[in-house]
Amino acid sequence: MSATHALRPGEAVPGQPARSHGGVWHVYRAERRKLSTQLSTRLLALFCVLGPFAFAGVLKIQSGSPADTLFGVWVHQSGFALSLVVLSFCGAWGFPVLAGVLCGDIFASEDRYGTWKMVLTRSSTRRDLFAGKLLAAVTFSVALLVLLAVSSLVAGLLLVGDGALVDLGGRTLSTGHSLVLVLAAWLLNVLPMLAFTSLAVLLSIATRNGIVGVVGPALIALVMQLLLLVGSGVWLHLLLASSAFQDWYALFTAHPFFGPLVVACIVSVIWIVASLLGAWLLIRRRDYAGTAVSRRPGWVVPVRVAVGSAALVALLAIASNWGPAGDTAAKLKASINPTFNNLTLLQQRELGRTVAPGAKLNVLTNCSRRASTPTGPGDWICNLDVFIPQPGAVPFQQTPVTYDVSVQSNGCYKAESPPSFVGQQTMKDAAGNQVVNPLFVIYGCFNPL
Amino acid sequence: MTAVAAVRARGLVKRFETTVAVDRVDLIVEEGEVRGLLGPNGAGKTTLLRLLFGLVAPDEGAVELFGRPLGASDTINLDGVAGFVEEPTFYPYLSGRVNLELFAELDGGADASRVDEVLERVGLASRGSDRVSGYSTGMRQRLGIAAALLRSPRLLLLDEPTSGLDPAGARDMGGLVRRLATEGTAVLLSSHLIGDLENVCDSYTVLRLGKVVWNGSAQQLRDQAPGSAYRLATSDDARALEIAEQHPGVHASRAPTGEVRLAVQGRIDAYVLDLGRADVAVRRLELVVSPLESMFFALTSDVELDPAGLTELIEAALAET
Repeated sequence: MSATHALRPGEAVPGQPARSHGGVWHVYRAERRKLSTQLSTRLLALFCVLGPFAFAGVLKIQSGSPADTLFGVWVHQSGFALSLVVLSFCGAWGFPVLAGVLCGDIFASEDRYGTWKMVLTRSSTRRDLFAGKLLAAVTFSVALLVLLAVSSLVAGLLLVGDGALVDLGGRTLSTGHSLVLVLAAWLLNVLPMLAFTSLAVLLSIATRNGIVGVVGPALIALVMQLLLLVGSGVWLHLLLASSAFQDWYALFTAHPFFGPLVVACIVSVIWIVASLLGAWLLIRRRDYAGTAVSRRPGWVVPVRVAVGSAALVALLAIASNWGPAGDTAAKLKASINPTFNNLTLLQQRELGRTVAPGAKLNVLTNCSRRASTPTGPGDWICNLDVFIPQPGAVPFQQTPVTYDVSVQSNGCYKAESPPSFVGQQTMKDAAGNQVVNPLFVIYGCFNPL
Repeated sequence: MTAVAAVRARGLVKRFETTVAVDRVDLIVEEGEVRGLLGPNGAGKTTLLRLLFGLVAPDEGAVELFGRPLGASDTINLDGVAGFVEEPTFYPYLSGRVNLELFAELDGGADASRVDEVLERVGLASRGSDRVSGYSTGMRQRLGIAAALLRSPRLLLLDEPTSGLDPAGARDMGGLVRRLATEGTAVLLSSHLIGDLENVCDSYTVLRLGKVVWNGSAQQLRDQAPGSAYRLATSDDARALEIAEQHPGVHASRAPTGEVRLAVQGRIDAYVLDLGRADVAVRRLELVVSPLESMFFALTSDVELDPAGLTELIEAALAET
């Protein structure tokens, strides 16, 4: 059958079935099938399911704990703490690596196999292909995050138990409250995970190189982690995509603060939009001209990129002092004081001593930074003088406790004191069970904004 | 009512940096027509096909497929159009069948029987479950044609479709194209070897350095051909050479190997009849350069195709064989 008039947009070619157009959903289905058959995807899924169980199993057979990570000392006592430790690890490295391995090759593989010319000559438009592939990347990224969340919770609850979780304010949370907060914490990581997914997609499209797409997000996360360690200003730190992985800690403080959480969500969305916009413009404007006229390999471009990246990192390091200081002595003091109070009372209760509801210690706290600059992340020291009332000529007994505090740019800290002050990492409770000494390591967070 | 052309390209220009790959090319392919796109390597054939597929955007000019403008890069609609440029490519870690299923999905999905049907049609039914990484060049070429057929195209654009195929495969491909044309499919085939397309195409467009240097029907191309060349073996070669001198259009010479070569302008029939009348038995008359090949050579090179030029062409053709 011949066409006897010019076809309008959307009108079927004579002799063609009416349903011949691809569309986003069909691209998504094809991409989902391709990703499912890839070994790397299967290995990642296996790792996400088995990794937390392996971690819990290793902890089960040894006495040590990942104390450097928030909630780390509690992993032998609460399955929820184990899930949160897994989440902390993932936020630092796991999610960027997952995003890179999963999505960094999703567009570049078409260049590697030379299949752009095949897929672009089907019924699906470039817009369909971009959206469909992106949707598949998002689906698999979120699916892996959900797998990790469920697996870490199940592993924790099965192998450690549903013991009470001690939050970052030193309070003991109920099982239900802990579960809700842990799930909310995982949920809050979806947006930053998608930010790194988008970044992987951008790298995959911009460089047309699967290796850069896969490794790039992890390298960028590494640089961001390093930038979070320097400078005392709050603005640059908040703008880094990596920092959004760490803001769920605010949910676990005695007085949850949502400013950084809102900022983290907005920052993640900005990273997502910027990355995807850049990726789409590149796809849309690209000429698929084959090998003869495509980019020639050489060392000039990689060297330029490396020099440019180094200059950018140096500039960002300088800019890390931009804005007000997030970590100050006043904020640290205001946070560690009630937390120490709550943990001391918890310790006393566990030792079988009667603690009146609402009891409060008289503590005089003084915090200072172990560096010339009195603000910013790094090593701090806090002296807590506890005044215990006693009958007699001297009305108070002063007990000094010194904590070495490691403060992060997001306002979270870990405080450790020598056993001579607070005792060993574990202690025997009133029932004779070996439990964590709540004062051995104090975790806390304050609002850096 | 007049049918709308399957392809109508007007004033197409494509530059890559300082190179003009396609230079003000006009092209029309009607439905049911098989058009050969000829030209030496670097003539702009593949770039022209890329322009028709929307893989590259023209710097100037416009393309209409079935009367519909190709449109912006992000919304190009290739419904009813199929084919490939350069060699067809696939996901090597997947089987041929799964590759086809994925491509079919991008077209809106196809049932398994349709995939089986096209695999059967290109002779890959028994190897459909094998990974593409184990396919030979010819098998990939067949799979590329299967991927194109999967769409039941009304316009088929194929770049060097016989590349990598054995002679039987190339013949089958030609037969397939002719059958599709009979069903109304417009076909545009590119090749740098006119012999591949000689009995397949209804019309030709010849490109040289990005420009159209000739455009017309297969018959017009034959009629305008400067000549043809043959290898001749007779019972009396010396006499055959003498007789050739009486035919102005026939230039005969003896090669160093002793065989007789003929550069013929026009038809060779009268000369052969004269050989018979002179009791010179023709034992072998082998066409070395066809009229189409000589025309192609004339159009795509700076060499004037006089008898000397044709002789040179014979030498080159013989060297190739």
